[in-house]
Amino acid sequence: MSATSVPAETALSRDGPQAQTAQARRGSLEVRNLQVVYGSAIEAIRDVSIEVEPGQIVALLGSNGAGKSTLLKAISGVLGEEEGKIESGVISYDGVDVTARSADEIVRLGLMQVPEGRRLFAPLSVDENLDMGGYIADTRTLAKRRAVVFELFPRLAERRRQISGYLSGGEQQMVAIGRALMAGPDFLALDEPSLGLAPIVIEQIYAVIRRLNRDLGLTVLLVEQNAQRALGIANYGYIIERGRIVFDGTAAQLEKNADVREFYLGVSGSGQKSLRDVKHYKRRKRWLS
Amino acid sequence: MQYLLDQVISGIAVGAIYGLVAMGFALIYKATGLVNFAQGEMSMITAYIAWSIAGTVSGNPWLVVGGALAASVVLGLAIERVVMRPMLGEPVFATVMVTIGLAVVLRSATLLIWDAYPHALDIGAGREIVHIGDTGVRSAQLAVMATLLLALGAFWAFFRYSRIGKAMRAVAADERAAKLMGISAARIHAVAWTASSVIAGIAGVFSALLYDVSPNMFHVGLKSFPATILGGLDSVLGSGFGGVIIGVAENLAAGYLAPSVKEITGFIVIIAMLMIRPFGLFGEREIERV
Ligand SMILES: Nc1ncnc2c1ncn2[C@@H]1O[C@H](COP(=O)(O)OP(=O)(O)O)[C@@H](O)[C@H]1O
Ligand SMILES: [Mg+2]
Repeated sequence: MSATSVPAETALSRDGPQAQTAQARRGSLEVRNLQVVYGSAIEAIRDVSIEVEPGQIVALLGSNGAGKSTLLKAISGVLGEEEGKIESGVISYDGVDVTARSADEIVRLGLMQVPEGRRLFAPLSVDENLDMGGYIADTRTLAKRRAVVFELFPRLAERRRQISGYLSGGEQQMVAIGRALMAGPDFLALDEPSLGLAPIVIEQIYAVIRRLNRDLGLTVLLVEQNAQRALGIANYGYIIERGRIVFDGTAAQLEKNADVREFYLGVSGSGQKSLRDVKHYKRRKRWLS
Repeated sequence: MQYLLDQVISGIAVGAIYGLVAMGFALIYKATGLVNFAQGEMSMITAYIAWSIAGTVSGNPWLVVGGALAASVVLGLAIERVVMRPMLGEPVFATVMVTIGLAVVLRSATLLIWDAYPHALDIGAGREIVHIGDTGVRSAQLAVMATLLLALGAFWAFFRYSRIGKAMRAVAADERAAKLMGISAARIHAVAWTASSVIAGIAGVFSALLYDVSPNMFHVGLKSFPATILGGLDSVLGSGFGGVIIGVAENLAAGYLAPSVKEITGFIVIIAMLMIRPFGLFGEREIERV
């Protein structure tokens, strides 16, 4: 079997075509009543429950400081780096309780995160960043997956020997996504992939996310402040505010909801409006009623 | 002219010892973000173990070298596992203090296990005089230069081609992102401590061969630290070169100015250096780009 003749779907999966068809689809995530506290004092998220079914794109929307990244860090098992701790609640992935698992165990189960701000290994080349994404894989698999990544992002193939820290923001985001794909995940959590990028670049990134989901069957948890963009490709969405899920529904339901339209999509009777213009209790009351 | 040549060549030999120890400093700094103040002491312990082995099985240099290498691996692994790993996640300041404590413990242990007197390390090799032109050097001096070159080549290849080497650079660049890739930082730290202990140990054995084993050997750490600053605290290869520069500068200062200048030459070189390039000759400047 040569590297070039392998279809993208199987090249990216962690255990080849046989296992792919024999097993139930992977990539289901369930978070139950999660509470996360930083430095045993600051409660960043409280009683958060979300569910992502295999093959879905689920959007997690919320403004700055709402607790989106905290939730992703909890899922990936990297809260400890910042003195964060899961006080209560359960995270399970594909039926496995991963609440207390280490980051590398979670990666091995097939859940990868593309962190906020991309966090490339700046002094390393594009190729080396991709190698690190596939740290848990063997060399042969790496070559196949790299081919898939370059097929998704042809620009990276041209830049493969360049130091990643000097690439443009859009290219860096491509490396960050490509790097995560090198681990052969079933589940991809993306933390604000459109942050700081030009609209045309966001378009490209979103096209790839959609393709990863549709063609390669990846389950996607998409964290964004940019609600319009995210709901454009999501099946389902959650809205998080001050560490609590305040609203959830299908993308269509969210887009129709008057409050979501007003506060997250910037459409309302009185024109453009910022969240900060409205008192918090008022928003909460309306959503919870 | 001959005098200059003599000074330079013996400076390179001393510098190679500094360079090896300095590479050990840089390796730990790169992987863990810590300055290990026990580097010179680790070097000394391995030299003493080599001396003990040489006293037991006399006249077998390979056994001494092999035994010392094995001992340095165990020492590095043990320190990482027992002393450093429990400090993971603690503030850097506290962790650096722990390495200072470790240095004191290792120094006392040396006095307890062995004694307070200098001893010659005789492994039945290394003392022959070899002539390069008109300069006579001991074979151990040539060997330590060759070892430094070998170490430089090996680490260059390690960081460039090996999975663990690349992962070490990744951990140095962004530890949390490395975790998100499934890289276990603890494992990378263990590799760094072990490799660092091994090259420090090799330097210690050469130092013992060229001079003595003595409870003052840990000073090699103090002499090598400027080499690391000079080469770049995060640059393993740069630190190796830095050692050679410091060694040569020391010898020239002692030979042409005054012997008493020797001890402070290294520090004068780095003060001058830090004014021009604060991140060292080969240190990586932070890449900042949003
Ligand atoms: N390392 C940390 N230590 C203390 N508080 C933090 C830390 N990281 C985030 N927080 C706090 O937790 C809350 C949620 O932050 P975050 O999850 O980053 O929000 P978002 O990603 O939605 O912008 C904020 O109030 C923030 O100040
Ligand atoms: Mg965030």
